[in-house]
Amino acid sequence: MLLEVRDLHVEFKTRDGVAKAVNGVSYGVDAGETLAVLGESGSGKSVTAQAIMGILPSPPGRVTAGEVLFQGRDLLKLKESERRKVRGAEVAMIFQDALSSLNPVLSVGDQLGEMFVVHRGMAKKDARAKAVELMDRVRIPAAKERVKQYPHQFSGGMRQRIMIAMALALEPTLIIADEPTTALDVTVQAQVMDLLAELQREYNMGLILITHDLGVVADVADRIAVMYAGRIVEQAPVHDIYKAPAHPYTRGLLDSIPRLDQKGQELYAIKGLPPNLMNIPSGCAFHPRCPMAQDICRAHVPPLDQLDNYRQSACHFWEECLDG
Amino acid sequence: MAEPIIEVTGLVKHYPLTQGILFKKQVGAVKAVDGVDFTLNKGETLGIVGESGCGKSTVAKMLVNLEQPTAGSIKYKGEDITKLSGRALKSVRRNIQMVFQDPYTSLNPRMTVGDIIGEPYDIHPEVAPKGDRRRKVQDLLDVVGLNPEYINRYPHQFSGGQRQRIGIARGLALRPEVIVADEPVSALDVSVQAQVINLMDRLQNEFDLSYVFIAHDLSIVRHISDRVGVMYLGRIVEIGRDAEIYDHPTHPYTQALLSAAPVPDPEAREHRERIILAGDVPSPTNIPSGCRFRTRCWKAQERCATDVPVLAVPAGFRDTGGAAAHDSACFFAEE
Amino acid sequence: MPEPTAPAAPQAVARSLRSDAIRHLLRNPVFVLSALVIIFLIVISLWPSLIASGNPLKCDLAKAQQGSQPGHPFGYDGQGCDVYTRTVYGARTSVTVGVCATLGVTVLGSVLGGLAGFFGGLWDTILSRITDIFFAIPVVLGGLALLSVVTGGTVWPVIGFMVLLGWPQVSRIARGSVITAKQNDYVQAARALGASNSRLLLRHIAPNAVAPVIVVATIALGTYISLEATLSYLGVGLKPPTVSWGIDISAASPYIRNAPHMLLWPAGALAVTVLAFIMLGDAVRDALDPKLR
Repeated sequence: MLLEVRDLHVEFKTRDGVAKAVNGVSYGVDAGETLAVLGESGSGKSVTAQAIMGILPSPPGRVTAGEVLFQGRDLLKLKESERRKVRGAEVAMIFQDALSSLNPVLSVGDQLGEMFVVHRGMAKKDARAKAVELMDRVRIPAAKERVKQYPHQFSGGMRQRIMIAMALALEPTLIIADEPTTALDVTVQAQVMDLLAELQREYNMGLILITHDLGVVADVADRIAVMYAGRIVEQAPVHDIYKAPAHPYTRGLLDSIPRLDQKGQELYAIKGLPPNLMNIPSGCAFHPRCPMAQDICRAHVPPLDQLDNYRQSACHFWEECLDG
Repeated sequence: MAEPIIEVTGLVKHYPLTQGILFKKQVGAVKAVDGVDFTLNKGETLGIVGESGCGKSTVAKMLVNLEQPTAGSIKYKGEDITKLSGRALKSVRRNIQMVFQDPYTSLNPRMTVGDIIGEPYDIHPEVAPKGDRRRKVQDLLDVVGLNPEYINRYPHQFSGGQRQRIGIARGLALRPEVIVADEPVSALDVSVQAQVINLMDRLQNEFDLSYVFIAHDLSIVRHISDRVGVMYLGRIVEIGRDAEIYDHPTHPYTQALLSAAPVPDPEAREHRERIILAGDVPSPTNIPSGCRFRTRCWKAQERCATDVPVLAVPAGFRDTGGAAAHDSACFFAEE
Repeated sequence: MPEPTAPAAPQAVARSLRSDAIRHLLRNPVFVLSALVIIFLIVISLWPSLIASGNPLKCDLAKAQQGSQPGHPFGYDGQGCDVYTRTVYGARTSVTVGVCATLGVTVLGSVLGGLAGFFGGLWDTILSRITDIFFAIPVVLGGLALLSVVTGGTVWPVIGFMVLLGWPQVSRIARGSVITAKQNDYVQAARALGASNSRLLLRHIAPNAVAPVIVVATIALGTYISLEATLSYLGVGLKPPTVSWGIDISAASPYIRNAPHMLLWPAGALAVTVLAFIMLGDAVRDALDPKLR
């Protein structure tokens, strides 16, 4: 495993109490593999990524337990100065909002070049040449001229390409992309996703794709981890999960996608509301919304059971769920 | 059978770009909406899809009179509502209401839910006598699936989906005939979106509503709409019944949009043919001549730069009478 | 009903943003401390005789510059007046100037700025240019120029001057926050319902735009108090027989080497007062800032 997260716990101290954002998440990703982390807002999918990167806003956030093993080293035990060397150079991150992730008063070339100046001690002129090369690589037309421009002079799709270029600059072995195309239009989304997938293959990087979009996941992922209330409820290869989900939450998500043959009928809807992280339901956090819930679900947290070599589900009744 | 309730003709909205501090000089215009025609029939749902900046939200705002069109007319039951003011405007507003995209900014954080849903009655006191209002508000809460006892709570005590229900209740308070919904579910979690769509569907039957449903999510629009219009850079490029648009698109932009939309089926990824459009949407301040889609279109020819294609049934399909015979603004329309 | 609805949050009662903010304030020690100081100041400026029995204007030259002694803990000033009594009585002037100037500035500034922000257009442009002009006037220099022609040395011309120069600051804030609030969808929603302009302004915009104005006003109150002292020190503000910390600081400054107590007590009182208001403003900002929620 390139990266392995083990039993990660993250808490946020807020005015109204402690929010348990991540409650024992374990997942891993190999080189050249795409792991999609699927979840709704508040599921802990982004917080887990922030903890891996070491950019958790702290306070109020705090990792209370767990390990993040990157090529065998526990990143959580590193000193901040050592972590900084890992960040960007070995593990890079792409954010949803490219505009606010770029510095508005520096030219794109300066920001791309800075990576080389800081991490590689390159001279300014060489760094600029590298920046042009990177912009070419993410297929920004007329890179030589545009390298002097400022972020606001680029369109949303182009800015996201610049973010990708920046993430790729130091040839990291792992990229974490947090909703990289959510802010983009459908036609541009496809361009950016294709580019990302292609570059991943080319460099044989691991990719953790954080998203709420079942469509994007189906297009690019190898494996999926579904998160709910700070836990992984199901983990499986992409084909299996869409064919036969082994957790009622995953099933509910898939069923609530409008389908052609359902036109004019009521959509399937998961009842109720996402949980309040200050007050997570007892037992299985999904039980108040689950159509299959029994007494045991209210009392006992279901363990993440191994279904076969590749699949896991945290449901007491995963067998029934698999059968539909 | 189809009885038009809203007819939009030649709708244009240009925002002038000015220079100068005290004496402003117009130097250009953002052509947000640039000639839109459509009809909404009674009891139907018209979906409008398009990417950001295509002008779909501006159309919504003009429908509910939050923006004045630069040109064109919006007829509600035959009466042009764009030039109304005073009492006449107020009475039209009773009949056309809006549901907003962001449930976090569309409710005043300093008012209770009861005050928010009851405000329409303060503004139109003739609809409900004072003593009746509390009960009416509680009825509305019940109708949208919220506990009527929540009447004294504040918006921040609710989740996104519940807030959107409150916004819908406010829109229903005056018993309008038309509801314009601008991306009503795109800010909600996936698991909650279906609940709100179902609610809107149910209310449509219960209150005999006509919807203009604006969204960028193609599958949701297909589910709820009877007819669908596709917008690009301020114009409708193709419009027709939902099956006509989704299964037999003839405009290249519609085809690209549909093929680019991610499909939640990993089996499809190998044998899917996707049209990946080159480049980005041009700026609405500087719209290409002729067909506005030609800069990204793979079919574009010289004619597309000089002539503007009109929105009509393409000549090639006029006599076929099949599903491809619907309005499409392209010289080279084909299935 | 198609589906049951779960309660939103564990708390069962309605909680407005305002009651939330108040709860937050009361738990903030900075707020509690500064509020206590300010309450104390207000009380002694209303009833100074509660803690000071003497007369601030009754002086005995023979005791000039004498230090602390029983019954007169702060000693005497250059004119032989009791420093303790004068310091207590000086609070009234400072609080009057601060409160009146702030009220005037806030009312004038928020009405002008709020209307300009709401209606926009030509009036907004003109108002913005006027505020630019006022921002260009240096406060102390303006005070020296304008107040030197006024005689009498009472608080009112000083307050008038502060309102004249201070309103553009509040107006700019109010304009900005009204423009922000105006764009909220709930304002659009009310407009789509047919709400009148006055309804939009009073019910939807003002309550949501007032927070930054309150914060600026609270912090400004402290600076007006220190501005009064500055102007009095420079001889253009208040003049005897008005009792003011500024006047006393000015009178004491030549003797700072021989009799520092004459300067330190009124200056200390001034510093504590200004600090209390600024800290209060900070605490209020923390409580009202929705970004921190």
